Amino acid sequence: MLKETSHVANTSKIISARGLARSFGRTRALDGFDLDVEGAGVLALLGPNGAGKTTFVNAALGLVRPGEGSLEILGRRPGDTAARSRIGVMMQDAELPDLLTAREQIALFASYYPDPRGVDETIELAGLTGFADKRYARLSGGQKRRVQFALALVGRPDLIFLDEPTTGLDTEARRGLWAIVRQAASEGARIVLTTHYLEEADALADDVAVMKAGRVIARGTAAELREQVGGSLIRCRTRLDDAALAALPAVRRARLSGRYAQIAAADAVAALKALFQADPEVTELTVRQPTLEEAFDTLTTDIEEA
Amino acid sequence: MARTANPYAAEIGAECLKLLRAPEFIIPSLALPVLFYAMFGMIIPGSNQNAPYLLATYGVFTVMAPALFGFGAGVAQERERGWLKLKRAVPAPAFGYITAKAAATLLVAAAGLAMVYAVAGFLAGVELTRTQWTLMLGVHIVSALPFVFAGLTLGFLLGANGAVAAANLLFLALALLGGLWIPIVVFPDIMQQIAWAFPSFHLAEVALAASGAGGDRPVGLHLAVLGAMTGGLALTATLAWLRQR
Repeated sequence: MLKETSHVANTSKIISARGLARSFGRTRALDGFDLDVEGAGVLALLGPNGAGKTTFVNAALGLVRPGEGSLEILGRRPGDTAARSRIGVMMQDAELPDLLTAREQIALFASYYPDPRGVDETIELAGLTGFADKRYARLSGGQKRRVQFALALVGRPDLIFLDEPTTGLDTEARRGLWAIVRQAASEGARIVLTTHYLEEADALADDVAVMKAGRVIARGTAAELREQVGGSLIRCRTRLDDAALAALPAVRRARLSGRYAQIAAADAVAALKALFQADPEVTELTVRQPTLEEAFDTLTTDIEEA
Repeated sequence: MARTANPYAAEIGAECLKLLRAPEFIIPSLALPVLFYAMFGMIIPGSNQNAPYLLATYGVFTVMAPALFGFGAGVAQERERGWLKLKRAVPAPAFGYITAKAAATLLVAAAGLAMVYAVAGFLAGVELTRTQWTLMLGVHIVSALPFVFAGLTLGFLLGANGAVAAANLLFLALALLGGLWIPIVVFPDIMQQIAWAFPSFHLAEVALAASGAGGDRPVGLHLAVLGAMTGGLALTATLAWLRQR
């Protein structure tokens, strides 16, 4: 631990990860993971289940030691006291004690930090007014998540990790939590959240890193990524073969499966116009947005082809 | 802004609140010992003569429940819920949680002992010298140690349900087979020999010796066995703690 030769830590560098790898048994949870994060704002780590998002968060918290690579959090070794005293966290699977109220849990966590927010201020900021004095066990799922979020906020941390903050919440509770996260972000903390909802990344993040199979495969604003993965999926019956379909304008990929042609189009209208010209007898036509999984597939394919 | 509170003080406060709000903990820890003692040392006709002897054994019984249940069941449950993991990720002091649990356990044990001692001294007419009272109280408080380590081992090794079941079994075995409820001398020989395997038996013997009613064996022998057992349990607790990290 005396290896901290870069003692002049660049304070604006929040996260610096290079080539992280970590296996659990035969699963490679992290595999060549690189990430740089600077300044304030909200970064979403977006990816399907099993992409390695939680493993990275646990490594950044010092709970999991990467097998390979280098990782600095706030210019420190992950998990050392100086780093921890500037970090707040809401974990995916950590439940708080049932018998304590939100106010009591917040006061306890405030005592851990050098310069915490006031308990009342935290209650207001996290939207706990009205149930701050109820025992945790008696709260709804959405209210519990807010209390967990309050514990992440109370220490006035420079870096906040939110691991799948809205998993299991209904739409209304999810939107409520988003509003609170946005407000906390406006106070100047750097927030890193993991999610497998494209919608959530879209609603909250200035900056999105897409993860797949243990590494970051794309990085950009939500709008940029949507443009990359956007487009439509067209399914129909046609007499054209897949090569002919793929040659149509605005078509990214096409293949025949069974009786149907599956077409991924960058621009559905342009592709359909060309399709009807080439084959006026098209039947059983459906057009839909790709699911997140399909969007990720498109993204990986595009990147591998590039 | 300065720290709102010392983290150890805050942690102890939180642990005390949790214990006081859990009836499944408070009843065996506070109510049962004093009720049992009053029943077998005072209320049952003719039991008064047993009151001094039973004070020594019930004192051990009184600290056993908070140590086994608070640590065994409590730690297992909070570990399983991810609460301990969350505390490792934030700047909570590394031993704050265990320290606070120990302090809260001792406070509850002290409250339980105060009630049992009050019944003994004021109602059951137990008469001891000031030195004997003090020595025995000291023995009873230190009695928590081996049970805390046993509880911690369960808490770190087992899931919440398993730990509750194991703590209950252990609690009954230690109380009954260690001679805390019924004086060991009325047991058959084989049972008296088995009792040597339980720290509760040795603690009761040391407490009896402190009250001036020691058994045939030298108290040093019981202390040596207790030292070895407590050391062994401390080691298993440490290993169990390292394993779950």
